[in-house]
Amino acid sequence: MTTKRNDWRATVGQMTRMGLRYLNGRRLRTTLTTLSIVFGVALIFAINLALPSMMDAFKQSMSSISGADIRFTSTSGVSFTPESVLPQVSGVAHVQAVTGILSRQFSIPTVENGALGSAAQIQLIGIDATSATAVRQFAMSEGRFLQADDSGAAVFPAGIADFAPELKIGTVFPLITAGGLKLYTVVGFLAEAGSPSAPEIYIPLKDAQAAFNQPGLINTIEVSIGAGADREAVTAAVQAALGDGFQLAADTNGADVVGSMEVGFAIFDLLGVLALFLGAFLIFNTFRTVILERRHDLAMLRAIGATQRQITVMIVIESLLQGAIGTAVGLVLGYLMVVGLVGVIGSMWQTYFHLPAIQLQANPGAFVIAIVLGMLTALLAGYWPARAAGRTSPLDALRPTTTASVERAARWNLIAGGGLMLVSVLMLVAGAKTAAGGAMLFLIGMMIAAPGLVIPAARLFSPLLTLWFAREGDLARSNLVRQPGRAAITGSTLMIGLAVLVLAAALVSAFTGLLENLAGRSFSSDILLTPQSVGIYSGVIGADDSLATRLRALPSVAAVGTMRYAPSTVNSEPVQVLGIDPNEYPKVATFDFPQGDAATAYSELGSGRTAFITSIAQSTLGVNVGDEMVLQSAEGPQTYRVVGVANDILTFKVAVVFISQTNMAADFHKSEDILLMANLAPGADKQAALTDVQDIVKDYPQFTAQLTGEYRQTIVDLSASAMMFFYILALLIIIPAAMGLLNTLTINILERTREIGVVRAVGGSQKQVRRMVTAEALLLGIFGSAMGVLTGVAISYGFIGAFGAIGWTMPFAFPLMGIIAAVVVGVLLALFASILPARSAAKLDIIRALQYE
Amino acid sequence: MAILRTESLTKTYGSPDKPIYAVNELNLSVDEGEFVAIMGPSGSGKSTVLYLIGGLERPTSGKVWLRDSDISTLNDDALSRLRRESLGFVFQFFNLIPVLSAAENVAMPLILDGVPRPEALKLANEALTRVGLADRSSHRPAELSGGQQQRAALARALVAKPALILADEPTGNLDSRSSDEVVQMLRQTADDLHQTIILVTHDPRVAAYADRIVFLKDGKIVDDNRLKGQGNADQIREQLTKVAFS
Repeated sequence: MTTKRNDWRATVGQMTRMGLRYLNGRRLRTTLTTLSIVFGVALIFAINLALPSMMDAFKQSMSSISGADIRFTSTSGVSFTPESVLPQVSGVAHVQAVTGILSRQFSIPTVENGALGSAAQIQLIGIDATSATAVRQFAMSEGRFLQADDSGAAVFPAGIADFAPELKIGTVFPLITAGGLKLYTVVGFLAEAGSPSAPEIYIPLKDAQAAFNQPGLINTIEVSIGAGADREAVTAAVQAALGDGFQLAADTNGADVVGSMEVGFAIFDLLGVLALFLGAFLIFNTFRTVILERRHDLAMLRAIGATQRQITVMIVIESLLQGAIGTAVGLVLGYLMVVGLVGVIGSMWQTYFHLPAIQLQANPGAFVIAIVLGMLTALLAGYWPARAAGRTSPLDALRPTTTASVERAARWNLIAGGGLMLVSVLMLVAGAKTAAGGAMLFLIGMMIAAPGLVIPAARLFSPLLTLWFAREGDLARSNLVRQPGRAAITGSTLMIGLAVLVLAAALVSAFTGLLENLAGRSFSSDILLTPQSVGIYSGVIGADDSLATRLRALPSVAAVGTMRYAPSTVNSEPVQVLGIDPNEYPKVATFDFPQGDAATAYSELGSGRTAFITSIAQSTLGVNVGDEMVLQSAEGPQTYRVVGVANDILTFKVAVVFISQTNMAADFHKSEDILLMANLAPGADKQAALTDVQDIVKDYPQFTAQLTGEYRQTIVDLSASAMMFFYILALLIIIPAAMGLLNTLTINILERTREIGVVRAVGGSQKQVRRMVTAEALLLGIFGSAMGVLTGVAISYGFIGAFGAIGWTMPFAFPLMGIIAAVVVGVLLALFASILPARSAAKLDIIRALQYE
Repeated sequence: MAILRTESLTKTYGSPDKPIYAVNELNLSVDEGEFVAIMGPSGSGKSTVLYLIGGLERPTSGKVWLRDSDISTLNDDALSRLRRESLGFVFQFFNLIPVLSAAENVAMPLILDGVPRPEALKLANEALTRVGLADRSSHRPAELSGGQQQRAALARALVAKPALILADEPTGNLDSRSSDEVVQMLRQTADDLHQTIILVTHDPRVAAYADRIVFLKDGKIVDDNRLKGQGNADQIREQLTKVAFS
């Protein structure tokens, strides 16, 4: 007697085995179908693996080493006067000692300043020697610590020897400050090793205040608490004494940068999800084809007693296997991508952002997300075809589908798909918020409508075909129309590939247009002085007004405009606050004003607490022109009124609040220029003027002076190479589309073996059979291209519109080049995919073909 | 004792007001261990009768009794179970799964029924031995000749020890030597295992091996000839011609 188990569990092992063998039997198709899962998983895995590691590297660089018990900074990150806070803190019970510190981490230009050896960035810490030594212990290994009356003295941690072994007691070294290079003398070395990435340099508080151009200010309060006191209770009491404007110093520095990095990574994550969506569609398509191909096998299994559910489980297992293979390969590829990214971008990361090396860490979350998404995609894509396969009647194999039911189904597809497309068009034109949804809906609507479009499209395009294929054209058309479902699947696959191509072209032209427009307007100056890093200013040391004054003194310079920086928050959202002079700035730079006009906006910026915000700030903060918002400043919360929305090339992708330099000095205590632009007097020689400027900049090695035109070109070129990404994405999606075409043509020929035999038997030549298959492929290619172009235009319109919702308003340019490229690629792909099937059809042995089942 | 009985079995196609009768009020009874050949001209409904008996097709009216149960009322899952437990099919096109070995193909109905794989494979190998393919058990269908494939399909039909084997033109795609081999094997199965077999064929030489030949025309039985294995191909051919032109 045979033993039996639960009926689905018993079969799973066997179904897995069969699935693997089917997949293995069609290795090329399996590979190409799995490719998009691989791509999607790799992208998502890479991002989620790299992101925390990069964030860590970033945060590590931002946090400083301290021996104090409790440290507080202002919530906004701005500096403040010690008199306003230190007495309150020292009054708190169990607080033993309090000191005020002004410290900042910044990058140093390695080329200009070899004084600190290989250190790429340093942390300059200004301390009041008397009170600081009461708060923490400074154990010395050599020399002495700072004293109350020191000036121009510096103390290093022992670890500096790793960067600059030549530093000894008594060594005099130059250091960049806001007032230009200043000389310091080494007076001692601490016993502790210090930061491995950004060595601390302890200097007297007054020197630091001069170096940062922040006289009388501090940015950190350090507290030591009495032995045995409850640390948490004391911390809470200090917090209460300081009020809302202060917080425990943790990883708060650089929150604005971390925020914008997260946005960037979210975009990549989105691309990964898009790739998986396409992967799902391709698996769906392949499985529908597979089920057509195998309907004899499936019907036979039903005949010998397989239940509907067993058949469904079998196909689902097969799609899961494919998902598992794709996910596994994707994880490996993703890991390699991260290693490559760390290798290539990592060096840029270190030199451009001056951040410590990225240490990759095992991140279980990244694995889980990538695996779950990869498998889920395969499961969802395989489920519907599997359900359909389960419904295979044992007799389906022996009976052809009647044309009537096919046509009826096709008509329903047309109605349902057409309805969806109609709704999607309404969503597309309704505005930025619904545009992306409309784009996706249009794609889905087109996919659903496709079977109903096959017959009209074949009618529409076949006259075109008869130009080249006078005799075979009609036969090809009727062959295509016979299986509208299959033609629709293939057409849809091609459609997605080509639509993405159109989208890529449209996005590239829109972005390039936006960037060139912004680049052209933003830099109307002749000469530009940029700090070590542009866009991220928290690690930058600028210059006091001595630099601008010296530039203005040059006879060839007509006007100088500067930009100043302070970090802040609005409703806990980190923002960059940039200070500009409303009178000088318009002479050297131009904003793009999507809302408000330049003249009024600038005049309003000159009076009272008013601000411009970037489009991104507008959408993240949810404020509009005329609204008021509260900025956290050194003087506590301050209410600013928005008088304009303004973007330029450096700020269009970050949340920035522009205020006047007067307000910045008053509320944020900042008067350090971090970006300078100069206009030349009419008729001045640009090269000669640049040389003069570069002479001055030698004293401020944190700046690089160059002609604005060159800098603009660099930015545009950089962006153009970044745009290649879109084309790569499109290419990756076109490969499986080509595979879909090849599949369909091959199956069509297998199915019609006997008919081809008849055509040959009644006198059709090999060439005619070949031309018949080629004509069919061409018709399919034209059909897919037509759908791809329509969908491509719709989704590019939607996606470009959707960027408006996050503040990047770009005009929609009709992607004519993309359309031409899509049609050419579609037709070429069809012809290419038809080569093998056409040849094998032509070479069929007539007798055997006639005997074929 | 009748293992199979049909009661006014009817199958029509087309619109209800203008029906085309594939099977018309058919009453057929098959005894246990009987080897029955169904013959008839093209369109006589012989394959449809087989599909109705096998639960692959649902009757328009009438009943099919397999032993004591009326299979025409079963739902899809119950029919599936019936097919894998009580029926064995042999088709004209061998319908083996190309990616599975001969033994795995034969084991399929058992595996679908929840029999553990090692046991299923053991039984499959026994069935293959019975059809003379013991040395071919690990071969894939593409590595077998047409006759061998059909013998593997026969082994698959036998493996679950079904009450009834249904064979639809099992020799239709074979040369005369392989065709003889397969039908002799069917005859031997009927003799050795007392296996009930219903076979649809248009080949008098194949039909001659049966115990009984049922002639169909327009979905009705026009002649029922008990040969007891003593059939003569020429006589059968004559009779078939007579039926066709009557």
